[in-house]
Amino acid sequence: MFDQNGLSLDQAPPISVVLRFFLSGALFGIVAGLLILVFNTAIFDPAAIEAVILTHTLTLGVMLSFMFAALFQMLPVIAGVKLTAPVRKANMLQYPFILGVIVLLFAFYSGKVLLFTIASFLLGGAILSITVTMLRELLKLPNHSSSSKGMSIALIALGILTILALYMTGTLGGIFEGMHYLQVKQAHFTFGLFGWIALLIISISFQVIEMFYVTPSYPTLMHKHLPLSLLILIGTGTLLSPIIADVWSFVTPLLALLMVLYALITLKRLTQRKRPITDATVLLWRIGTGLLIASMLLMLSADYSGYTILAKLSYLSFAGFAISIVFAMFYKIVPFLTWFHLSSQGYFTAPMMHEVIHPKTAMRHFYIHSATLLVLALSLFFSPLIYLGGFLTLLSFGWILWQIIHAWRLYLHTQRTGEKFEMNIPTT
Amino acid sequence: MNISQFMTQEHRMCDTTFAEAEQAVANGDWEAAEKAFLQFSNETLTHFKREEDELFPVFESHTGSTEGPTQVMRYEHEQVKGLIGKMAEAIESQEKDTYLSLCESMMILLQQHNMKEEQMLYAMCERLLPPELKDETLEKMKQVEL
Ligand SMILES: [Fe+2]
Ligand SMILES: [Fe+2]
Repeated sequence: MFDQNGLSLDQAPPISVVLRFFLSGALFGIVAGLLILVFNTAIFDPAAIEAVILTHTLTLGVMLSFMFAALFQMLPVIAGVKLTAPVRKANMLQYPFILGVIVLLFAFYSGKVLLFTIASFLLGGAILSITVTMLRELLKLPNHSSSSKGMSIALIALGILTILALYMTGTLGGIFEGMHYLQVKQAHFTFGLFGWIALLIISISFQVIEMFYVTPSYPTLMHKHLPLSLLILIGTGTLLSPIIADVWSFVTPLLALLMVLYALITLKRLTQRKRPITDATVLLWRIGTGLLIASMLLMLSADYSGYTILAKLSYLSFAGFAISIVFAMFYKIVPFLTWFHLSSQGYFTAPMMHEVIHPKTAMRHFYIHSATLLVLALSLFFSPLIYLGGFLTLLSFGWILWQIIHAWRLYLHTQRTGEKFEMNIPTT
Repeated sequence: MNISQFMTQEHRMCDTTFAEAEQAVANGDWEAAEKAFLQFSNETLTHFKREEDELFPVFESHTGSTEGPTQVMRYEHEQVKGLIGKMAEAIESQEKDTYLSLCESMMILLQQHNMKEEQMLYAMCERLLPPELKDETLEKMKQVEL
């Protein structure tokens, strides 16, 4: 079989590598739902530790897990990067990562120095080593596409934001004096949201929007230069912030403008797609990029007017943007991989994509997800709704969890019972 | 028009007819679907043949490797052909859900394949092959029929 030729390795890592990161992402999402139920509307108070805890559950626990799933999947397939021993790499990343996130959440809650130190070692070690490994492989590529270049830049941002985080936990742990602590915190936040989350989504979308929906490609100017421009803007803001106090009030509007431009072009591309059927993933991309625009406009108007409710809605919209897009990716990647791996292994009975996750199942989740975001937004005005919001968050990530378990069981079931034929690789 | 442009344009043409067939199936217009699907499979198979019979051998003899990218491309062609067969069965028996599900797999598979060719293989051909050989190969590819 082709495994021995390394052929299937050229195409995709084992399915377990991808599913395990989706799994931990879904589990942290369930934790986030529980936290919303416990913390109530304190999650919206930027000064409260509850908000910091929930934010890190979502950005680290959920988003980073989902994004690692996407990277392990996309780097070999789209960028042509060869990640050797992906299972071992995934293990070495995931166990310290999960433990590190949990310890960090407790560290925030208790303020204990020891916990911050342990979390720093676990998360810093796990994230920085995979970042370096992936970057090293990416830099070896002879031909770069805009996507692979963008992914490299996003990984650089991940490295920087992790180092900034280590500086902060080091300060809290008394290792550093904490010079420019507030500036570092602002830079950590900006690198996290714009340099890492948004930039990685943007880079991946340069290829997947065209690939999944058959659309014209993004304008050359945008896909060639946007990723690096974002990194330079954020980097400049960070370096200047100790000298020029209000540097972000110049940089942030520029970042917002670029985000809005990107989102508008994505929405336009989605109307230009050749494939006519509007499935849940198209809707998720639409709502996601729509929320990105909303988030940026809310952020600017919050800065301008000083109304904190606008800032809160802006954060919520940004979270909605990021989570909508990773769900959209999930509903394409998981059914495809299940089918692809089984049929590449030669099983006649490989389930088709709609047998893994039916389009109607994805559509129902789209409604749950939209309701979750809407109810959470409304709970800013009518606080008892937060309980419904927490419950819907649980349901939404529980839904994802169930799809992962279902796909994995179907995969194992087919391997156990399926009929298989020995395919010969066509050679010249 | 060079090799890369010609072949890339063919990829886009196949996408368009593919989408036509998908739309027709979604509308339940099986007659139009069959027509568009037949055109899609002819275009795709002819395109594969241009690559396998003309372009890949030139690339292989020039780089001295039959095991590199072209082997992966040939293998992916086989996967696509397998799916074309299943889609033909689904059209034959007018199974809408099955057909649309196969469409999903086909598009991801095919787009992924095309991107690899456009960004790596065709780009390498343009860079590595001497100009006369490129013109000659392009002419030969245009002559290929199923
Ligand atoms: Fe091909
Ligand atoms: Fe091709």
